[in-house]
Amino acid sequence: MREAFHDRFLAAVAGDDAALAPWCETPQAGLSVYRNTMAKACADALVAQFPTVERVVGPAWLAAAATAHAAVSPPRQGSLLTYGAAFPDWLRRFPPAANLAFLPGLAQLDLLWTEAHLAADAAPLDPEAVAGLPPDAFGTHALVLHSATRFAGFDDTTPRLWQALQPPGEPPDAFELEPEPQGLLFVRPGLDIAHQTIGPGALAFLAACRDGDSAAAAAAAGLAAEPCLDLSATFARLLAAGAFAALRTLP
Amino acid sequence: MTPQPTAGLSLKPQHYAEALACRSDGLWFEAHPENYMAAGGPRLAWLDAIARDRPISLHGVGLSLAADEAPDEDHLAALKRLVDRVQPILVSEHLAWSMRRGVYAPDLLPFPRTAAALGRIADNVDRMQAVLGRRVLIENPALYLPLTGHDFGEVEFLTALARRTGCGLLVDVNNVHVSAHNLGYSAEAYLDAAPAELVGEIHLAGHAPDERLGATMLIDTHGAAVAEPVWALYARLIGRIGARPTLIERDDAIPAFAGLLAERDRAHDLLTREREYA
Repeated sequence: MREAFHDRFLAAVAGDDAALAPWCETPQAGLSVYRNTMAKACADALVAQFPTVERVVGPAWLAAAATAHAAVSPPRQGSLLTYGAAFPDWLRRFPPAANLAFLPGLAQLDLLWTEAHLAADAAPLDPEAVAGLPPDAFGTHALVLHSATRFAGFDDTTPRLWQALQPPGEPPDAFELEPEPQGLLFVRPGLDIAHQTIGPGALAFLAACRDGDSAAAAAAAGLAAEPCLDLSATFARLLAAGAFAALRTLP
Repeated sequence: MTPQPTAGLSLKPQHYAEALACRSDGLWFEAHPENYMAAGGPRLAWLDAIARDRPISLHGVGLSLAADEAPDEDHLAALKRLVDRVQPILVSEHLAWSMRRGVYAPDLLPFPRTAAALGRIADNVDRMQAVLGRRVLIENPALYLPLTGHDFGEVEFLTALARRTGCGLLVDVNNVHVSAHNLGYSAEAYLDAAPAELVGEIHLAGHAPDERLGATMLIDTHGAAVAEPVWALYARLIGRIGARPTLIERDDAIPAFAGLLAERDRAHDLLTREREYA
């Protein structure tokens, strides 16, 4: 009987008022309290997860979208800290967002921000440790990304738009995207998150590092993606930002 | 020496700096572990810093002990890591469920208090205490639905659960007030029946009438100051059982830290007076 109760309670909350008939007279006003609390908790968690999306569409639009999303993608863990991973892709198919093509990209970057925010603490790689390496060491060592390093690439300037939407500045008047490939890099070498736009070469370099390739192979990947890439300046910039945690000797 | 914890406050990110700086006598903080189940980052750094200075209580909302299934082992493991990290003075959860077949319904849901339910929930509390390696407290939920099919009253059920598992009780006086109002029983009689030796913590919070149903249905909102009838019930409870660590619980419409601290001081004064008489 108890097994049936839990399922029937959820069925009742989902709208089948008669499902709880063995345990209470129906309809019951109290059911709507549970229904509302659950919907609000899901929506609140999603709204908190996507502050940049909220800056574009406003809290009411996002709360309505979040409620619709939660109905098809409910949370699956007792902690809502990372709830919303499926929201960016779902937004691509959400009819009211059809003319806001940049919205899923902004949502994806908000998720990466949260991942960087919650990632394990680690000391960034000391640039001095790299400075003393002989040139041939780049073929035998891999650069290990810092636990908080996150990045994503786009075919347009979504990263610059995301940056322009960050407080405390006023949001831009128009949300125009240029057809220029661009990436956004999040780093958190200490407790504060920093972000910077990066080009296709730096993106390919970081992706190769994430895949465990040697530093030399990562450099080659960067050059392949962006032939006129200034490799040493790019590497120095990533190193100084705290994107790496360690140098690993390859077997 | 750390002074004995008296009245505490819910720990909120917007109050981290003030919480860390506050020197009030007997002050402690309670956090929802679900908000700190991260690998690292600034939230955990703040919690660590505050835990170095002040007693911390971890009050779970997502373990779903009254589910008809075992608690999620990943969730328990994350809770264990947090308990080991901050060494809380108290760890608590609810007599409610929220997880069913891999889906989390973020609320504290009711169930018929049957003998079978008691067995299942006792197993779940046993598992929680075994993993954490410590005693936990179980809180009475706010109730909104008059169910039939109970074999036990709520106090009777909680008492049996405590006797069976060795857990203690967290008495949420606002939940008692709200549930008694909504389901039509005596809050005083409920509180008078709670065995003093089992009560390890007390919660006080604000409530509000349901926006659509009006005053017939009170909602445990945690979004307002503690109401006077709840303060009266609280005074009655500690007058009978003695002082217990007491939390001013606030999760919504969060006021300035000073406002919460003033409410906390009221509970602190009542507790201190109680200790002097004891």
